[in-house]
Amino acid sequence: MSILAEAFALVLQPYVLLVILSSAAFGMFVGAIPGLTATMATALLVPVTFFMDPVPAIAAIVTATAMAIFAGDIPGTLLRMPGTPASAAYVEDAYKMTRSGRAEEALGASLVFSALGGIFGTIVLVTAAPMLAEVALKFSSFEYFWLVVLGLSCAVFVSPGSVARGMIALIIGLFAATIGIDNPAGQPRYTFGNVELLAGVQFIPAMIGLFAVSEVLRFVASGAETPAVEKGGRTGVFTKQWTNLKRYPVQAMRGSVTGTAIGALPGAGADIAAWISYAISKKFSKQPEKFGTGHVEGLVEAGASNNGAVSGAWIPALVFGIPGDSITAIVIGVLYIKGLNPGPTIFINQPQLIYAVFIVFFLANLIMLPMGWIAIKAARTILSIPARILMPIILMFCIVGSFAINNSPFGIVLMLVFGVIGFLMEENDIPIAPAILGLVLGPMLEQNFVTSMIKADGSFLAFFERPIAAGLGLFTIAIWCIPLAMRLLRHGRGAASDASQLPGG
Amino acid sequence: MKFNDLLLGLLVLCGGIAIYVSALGFTDIPGQDYGAGTMPRAIAVFASLLGLFMIVKALAAGLRMPRLELAPWLRSRRSVLSVLVALVLVVFYILAAPSIGFVPASLVVMAVLMLTLKTKPLTAIAVSVLACIVIQQAFGRLLLVPLPRSEFLAFLW
Repeated sequence: MSILAEAFALVLQPYVLLVILSSAAFGMFVGAIPGLTATMATALLVPVTFFMDPVPAIAAIVTATAMAIFAGDIPGTLLRMPGTPASAAYVEDAYKMTRSGRAEEALGASLVFSALGGIFGTIVLVTAAPMLAEVALKFSSFEYFWLVVLGLSCAVFVSPGSVARGMIALIIGLFAATIGIDNPAGQPRYTFGNVELLAGVQFIPAMIGLFAVSEVLRFVASGAETPAVEKGGRTGVFTKQWTNLKRYPVQAMRGSVTGTAIGALPGAGADIAAWISYAISKKFSKQPEKFGTGHVEGLVEAGASNNGAVSGAWIPALVFGIPGDSITAIVIGVLYIKGLNPGPTIFINQPQLIYAVFIVFFLANLIMLPMGWIAIKAARTILSIPARILMPIILMFCIVGSFAINNSPFGIVLMLVFGVIGFLMEENDIPIAPAILGLVLGPMLEQNFVTSMIKADGSFLAFFERPIAAGLGLFTIAIWCIPLAMRLLRHGRGAASDASQLPGG
Repeated sequence: MKFNDLLLGLLVLCGGIAIYVSALGFTDIPGQDYGAGTMPRAIAVFASLLGLFMIVKALAAGLRMPRLELAPWLRSRRSVLSVLVALVLVVFYILAAPSIGFVPASLVVMAVLMLTLKTKPLTAIAVSVLACIVIQQAFGRLLLVPLPRSEFLAFLW
C-alpha cells in the first residue's frame, strides 16, 4: 500500500472523523467566547488527546485551533471583543459592519477567507515541509542552535508591547526549563529536594496555568459581566462572499502568503500575522480611508492571514521541532508524548503519519465552512452563556487536565504556580508567548549550545563556520541589531534637527 | 500589582545575580569546561544585562523610586476576595480531594466560585452538580484517569 493510501486509511476512520467533528465544535465554542484563546483551547484539549492514538490526537488539535482562530471573529464582530488576539486587528471593521446590519456578511467573509487562508497554508506546508526536511537532515548542533535562538528572538521582537518585557518573559521560560536533572551534567538543578521536580517542569500543567488559569483569575479579578450582543441583521453568511472574492482576489492571496510566511517563522504566529496583513492591506488599498469604518477589505486579507499562519506554524514545528507559535509549542509537547519526535527524521521514519497530518489539515479547513455557519447562527446563544458560570467550570477542567498528565496532584500545584505567574505577567504587560517558547525550547537550546561549545572548544567563531549556520546566525544578529540601529539613527537625526533649530546652532 | 520599570529592572537584575550565584555550585561534564552550570550562567548574564538596561532606561526617563502600583482590581475588596477565594479553592482541592474524593471536592470548588461570582444559588448548585458528574464520567470512566474516589459515590465509577 502506498504511503498516501496508508495515510488516508489512518484518517478516514469513523473514530478519527468523530474526533475531528467534536473538536471542531469544541474549538468553535472556546474561540467564540471572549477571553478564551485558541491556545487555551489547545491547552485544555491536550489532557484528552493524551488518551488517543497519534493521528486522532493531532487531528483534534489541528481542527480545534483552526476553528478557534476563526471563531474568535464572532465575539469580535458581535460584541467588539475579539475572542482571540488573532482577531483583534480587524475588530473595528467587523463591529462597524455589524452596526450597519451586515454582521452575517462580515462573519461570512471571515469564515470563507479563513478557510481559504488555511488551505493555502496547508498546501505550502505539504510542499515545503518535506523539502525542508531534506535540508534539515544535514543540520548539526550549530544550525539548530541558531534556529532556536532565531525562534526565541522572533518571539521577543514581534511580541506586543516592549521588547524588554518580551525578554523578561523569555528569561522566565528559559529559567523554568533549567529545572530538573535533564542537563548535560545530569545534576539536579533548582529541585529543592522535590522528587517530582527532578523530571523538570511538566510542560502541560505549566501551559494550562499560564494560559487558562491566569485568564480565569483575570476574569475573577475584573468581575466583568457578559455584555449584550448587537443585533447584526440577516444578510446571509455566504451570499456576498463570491463578490468579495472577485473584488479582492489579490488581498486574499496576499493575506494567505503573508500569513503562511509569518506562521512559518519560528516564534511568530497568527496574532502577528493578522496585524501585519491588516496593515499591508491598508497600505496598498485603493480606499485606505475606509479602513476602520466597516470595510470588508482588511477583513478578507487579515482573516486569510491568521488562518494561513496556523498552518504555516507547523512547518518549523514538524521539520525542526521548533514551534512556529505558542499553539505548535504545545503540539510539540504532545508529539513527544506520543513518541513522534518532531524533526527531519519523522519524514523518513513515519511518512504515513505526516501525510495523515496533512490530510487532517485539509479536512479541518473544509469542515470549517459548515461548522462555521452553524456557529454563526448559534452565536447569540453561545455568547449569552454568562462567564461567571463558565469560568468555574473551566477552572475545574484545568485542575483535572493538569492532574491527568501524570496522575499526580503535583501537576495541579504546578498549574497553580504558573497560573499566578501568568496573571502577574499579564498585569505587568509581559507577554506569555516568549515564556512558553523559552520553556519548550530551553532544553533544545541548552543541549545544542553545550554540544556546540564543546565541539568548538569554546570558540564562538565556529558558530559561523558552516554556511547555513552562518546565514542563520547573521540573520539572528540582524534581528537584534536592526531595531537598535534604527532607534540610534532616529535619535541621532532627532538630535541633529534639534541642534539645527537652536538659535545660532 | 504593577511594578514600575525601575522596580522591574531591579527585580530582573537581582534575579540574574541570584541565578549566577546559585549556578556556581553546578558541576561540569568531566573533562570539559561546560556542564550543568553553563545554561543558567548564560541566562543569568542575559538577565543581569537586561536588568541594568531597564534600570538605566527608567532612570533616564525620570523614575527615581522603585514602586509597586496597585491595579484597579486591588482597590475593590470584592475583586481581591474573589481572587483569593479562587486560589484557596484550588489549594483546597489539592489538599482535600485525596481524602474526600473528586466529586465532593470539585463540587465545592465550582459551586463556591460560582456563588462568589454572584451566580444565583440554585443555578450555581445545579450547574456544578451537572458539570461535576460530566467531568467525572468523561475523565474518570471514559479516559480512565484515576480521579480520587469517594466510598459513598462508588456507583459513579
